[in-house]
Amino acid sequence: MSIIIKELLCMTTKIFVKNIEHESAIKHVTGKAIYTDDIPEPQNLLYAAIGFSNVSKGTIQKTDFTKVLNSKGVIDIITESDIEGQNDVGPIFKGDKIFTSKNIEYYGQPIFAVIATSTKLARQAALNAKIEIKKLKPILTIEEAIKKKSFVLKSKVIKKGKASMAIKNSDHQLKGKLECGGQDHFYLEGQIALTIPQEDNNFLIYSSTQHPSETQQIVAKVIKQKFNSINVKVRRIGGGFGGKETQSFLFAAISSIASKKLNKPVKLRIDRDDDMIMTGKRHQFKFDYEVGFSNDGKINGLKILMASNCGISADLSGAINDRAIYHIDNAYYIPNLELTSHRCKTNTVSNTAFRGFGGPQGMFCIENIIDHISHHLNKDPAKIRAQNFYKINTNNITHYGMKIEDNIIEEIFNNLKNKSKYIKRKKEIEKFNKSNSILKKGIAITPVKFGISFTTTHLNQAGALVHIYTDGSIHLNHGGIEMGQGLMTKLALVAANEFGLDISDIKISSTDTEKVSNTSASAASATTDLNGGAILNAIYNIKLELDSFIKKYYKTKKIIYQNGKIMCDKKTLLFNEVISKAYLNRVKLYSSGFYKTPKINVNVKDLSGRPFLYFAYGAAVSEVVIDTLTGENKLLQVDIIHDAGNSINQRIDMGQIEGGFVQGLGWLTTEEISWNKNGNILSHSPSTYKIPTAGEIPNKFNVEIFKKGYNIENVVNRSKAVGEPPFMLALSVFSAIRDAVFNANSNKDSTKLIAPATPENILNSLN
Amino acid sequence: MPSSSIEFLLNDELITLNDLDTNTTVLEYLRNYKNLKGTKEGCASGDCGACTAVLAEVKDNKLKYKSINTCITLLYTLHSKQLLTVEHIESKYLHPVQQSMVDNDGAQCGFCTPGFVMSMYAMHKNKIKPTNENINKYLSGNLCRCTGYRPIKDALKNLKKYKNLNTDSSEILKKLKKINLNDVILNKNNSKFFIHKNLQTFKKDFIKSKNPSLLVGGTDLSLEITKRRKNLDEIFYLGQNKDLNFIKVKKNNLHIGAATPINDILSILKKYYSEFYEMFERYGSEQIRNVASLGGNIGSASPIGDSLPVLISLDTKLILDGNKSRKMSISDYFISYRKTKLRKKEFIKEIIIPLKSKHNILKCYKISKRIDDDISSVFMAINTEIKNKKFKSIKIVCGGMAAIPKIAKKTENFLKNKKINLDNISKAKKIISKEFSPLSDVRSSKTYRTKIVSNLLDRFWNEYNNKRVTLYDY
Repeated sequence: MSIIIKELLCMTTKIFVKNIEHESAIKHVTGKAIYTDDIPEPQNLLYAAIGFSNVSKGTIQKTDFTKVLNSKGVIDIITESDIEGQNDVGPIFKGDKIFTSKNIEYYGQPIFAVIATSTKLARQAALNAKIEIKKLKPILTIEEAIKKKSFVLKSKVIKKGKASMAIKNSDHQLKGKLECGGQDHFYLEGQIALTIPQEDNNFLIYSSTQHPSETQQIVAKVIKQKFNSINVKVRRIGGGFGGKETQSFLFAAISSIASKKLNKPVKLRIDRDDDMIMTGKRHQFKFDYEVGFSNDGKINGLKILMASNCGISADLSGAINDRAIYHIDNAYYIPNLELTSHRCKTNTVSNTAFRGFGGPQGMFCIENIIDHISHHLNKDPAKIRAQNFYKINTNNITHYGMKIEDNIIEEIFNNLKNKSKYIKRKKEIEKFNKSNSILKKGIAITPVKFGISFTTTHLNQAGALVHIYTDGSIHLNHGGIEMGQGLMTKLALVAANEFGLDISDIKISSTDTEKVSNTSASAASATTDLNGGAILNAIYNIKLELDSFIKKYYKTKKIIYQNGKIMCDKKTLLFNEVISKAYLNRVKLYSSGFYKTPKINVNVKDLSGRPFLYFAYGAAVSEVVIDTLTGENKLLQVDIIHDAGNSINQRIDMGQIEGGFVQGLGWLTTEEISWNKNGNILSHSPSTYKIPTAGEIPNKFNVEIFKKGYNIENVVNRSKAVGEPPFMLALSVFSAIRDAVFNANSNKDSTKLIAPATPENILNSLN
Repeated sequence: MPSSSIEFLLNDELITLNDLDTNTTVLEYLRNYKNLKGTKEGCASGDCGACTAVLAEVKDNKLKYKSINTCITLLYTLHSKQLLTVEHIESKYLHPVQQSMVDNDGAQCGFCTPGFVMSMYAMHKNKIKPTNENINKYLSGNLCRCTGYRPIKDALKNLKKYKNLNTDSSEILKKLKKINLNDVILNKNNSKFFIHKNLQTFKKDFIKSKNPSLLVGGTDLSLEITKRRKNLDEIFYLGQNKDLNFIKVKKNNLHIGAATPINDILSILKKYYSEFYEMFERYGSEQIRNVASLGGNIGSASPIGDSLPVLISLDTKLILDGNKSRKMSISDYFISYRKTKLRKKEFIKEIIIPLKSKHNILKCYKISKRIDDDISSVFMAINTEIKNKKFKSIKIVCGGMAAIPKIAKKTENFLKNKKINLDNISKAKKIISKEFSPLSDVRSSKTYRTKIVSNLLDRFWNEYNNKRVTLYDY
């Protein structure tokens, strides 16, 4: 009974789709959208800059800040000794120091901050510190870390069935190694925080963050105050992608420490290069696998050793590696699995959340294993993929024991295979490759199945606050962050739909810890699901009173909210008139709302249970050409069908699908993080780290939202989360490159290819 | 008398300026002093385009528009120009490029958007056809991390749907032409900024200077300020020096003023050296090519400056000037990493490229991680004259293989007067793979570099046999 009521509390009353532009589109194109650095600056504002370590491991012998303090415009410096509370911004686990005064643990570790009268002067002064460091030998690679048992968290072992036996008893066995690199978020708006002192020693923080509540909590602990003395506000951020889920805390903490110490507003805006040096990235992964399979390519048993480079601290690495484990199956049924997951600690900046959150790496592994099997059997990988798919009624339990109830992968896969003319093109490519000795083409189709919900169960909650003012205009507030994904647009549409109003009647406002408290990060693709649920619940609460007033006052049974009006049994009323009447009759016209994802549960020890409410599906076909002389490569065509459920706004969802794909494309091709042998990052600017440009995108880029999309779970508007899943559609590009390498190599071996598939890595994989 | 302030138009407002630091960038000026916050800082190194604005300059009695990276453009270089920012281009209605971006969902987080809008605006103003090729070229300097570019490209392709807002530029032209084009000498906090209109006055001040920095596009120099946090004491801006801004053909040579922007030499270069011209399509971005100069590329002496191997292979001569003028072959110019034969109080005045003879073949090969706006891992220029199927002369010059752009001397010696056939190419491949000892760095490993220079000779051989096989044709 209680479950039914809960579902009722947050149901979309009328399923809809409304394809409109982003709520801030006009502000974006006119430069009027305000980001943190654009907020009118308060009087007496001071500016900070961080001084950081330029070695990756060592101990500080001596520091001399005299020259810093004597530099032009400098007001003060802050160091560890200025921290009243905890010297840590770690989100779940401790270990992310703000400043170090003794041990240097990674290149880019903050040691102090300068406060000056301008950003320029602060940054100039920061270079004047004299810091003597005794260098120690760092651990820099996954291999070294495993050898020295250097881990940020305990390794996990997952077992399902009897993998060794199943492999042994299979028709074929293969072993292999795989590697995929890290990735810098490269949000266009760099990290920034502005702290403004308020009365009673309270602080208002504007931060470019995906997680205002945790910013509030952490800053409070750092400056040793109660949570209720810190207010964090965010209207929008210039891209996040996971890079501002926890990485923003350091900067909000430093601006706040300085602001409290000097009792002045302080802004800390990080230079692009420093940002790329000081903040964590996507985890690099390495895999060793052993697979046993039948003559027709069906996987019987799989053993995997996966190890990720977590950098210096745990940060979110536990959940990220868990999600990699959860996605080691992608869309495939693996009857017997044995998996060991190492979370390696190295002397590099702590790696963090990034779109997909370990999922892409897990799926990278299985897709490459399937390619290996296919090439070994000399069969079309598309066939081997289909062969191994989860089925509807059988083979539908995952390796963590969750029954898949919403499986649509076969339908999407087959639709796309036909639509993209995969088979015909594959034949044409064969022909092309026969007549070209230097250029070789490749093609691949890969599926995506991605689990939706935070795997940390308690994070799956959200709150909202909805006001109707007496003129009938609505103010909407919730815990989600607008980072370009169109969250605010979708949620305003949800509210408008419930009240039968136009989106222009809904005021979209800054996310604010004083309005909705204890929120979760805008992450895990679930922000619309969670906050949409909370908004529906708030509206339900309002309507509970409002509707009963209308029924009584207007003597009607029927109440339909539509086109700014309320349709009753006999007459049609104007929404705003009813609202003002309701006010005069003392009806409560605002409410909070709450949502928690139903059905989910996880055993944290062995990861078993139902971590996800549902899955999002998709598939992509990519065709590439490589130059066997140079390893240069080009993406020629992409075809995608992606499942967004019953989309709230297809224009917004389309943007997520295409944008996610291209970001994945960058991860797997041009984006290469490079370190020197001392652990100093070399790729710390857009001149050395190359994300895709307009020219990398194929002219034939055909994207379709799955027409029959419908979420069988009771999620807002029966839509599906669409932030992360499309990222992994780009695995088709890597498989296509692998196919081209396979086609080029006389020994038919493509196993040497590692990601990113840069020209150099492609050339190295050719024999 | 030189004037002691600059004059320019900020959108429609005439500004006279001399009270800001000489190291101020245009972006700092817009955001910190004019409260024009539509223009964003994404990287402060001219690589992401978030800060793009448009310059209008008077040329041949017309306004010419170019997109620039305001983060690496120094404020005082705006003298006599109009700077157009995103705040300006919307009037009563959105500008067509803005409306098209809205209608095609070209913005998500919106932070890169004003920069894109301004690059598109420059395209629109210059009436560039939105073909795929042109779009990729004109947007190569703008990074977007959200959209995946398809909607932005569509916004350009669909521009024709919108009514053109024909604005009259005659008023602006009139205002700009009124600005006094005298020399400018600014002195602010013991730091000087010079703008000269000709060589004579420039030389006089330059020779007197103590610690001069020569500035044209600032695509390298400005990073001293924005990234290395330095203050430049004496900046000599050469962008308005008539004697350094020209391109002309005299007898059998192409003469190029050292400060001429790349985009101003391209149309002539295309006529004489189409391969060299094509190389520039992948040289930096549109914003960079709009302001960067050959003289700057030579002066900064980067081992990976793409134009350098080509210039060396073409037997280019340099005119260096200062106390006295001298002529030098560019192949003698580079000494070691970023060290050249340029003396103190000397500058590069002119670049002289011999015109190609009928029998010459020039090839420019660039290998990088990304096609557009990337620095080469390896660059190779081959200039050869083949007669009777023999290499009558051959120059092979590589970038990214040594501390300076370097000639593959042994390979050249081997191939000279040899028959052009597979056997000799194979032998040359072996020689060239031993000729260099490159470094491993962020762009590629030494092994890859070594392999590539050798494989590029295969590419040459294929192309000689009329088998053009690069994937850029697909």
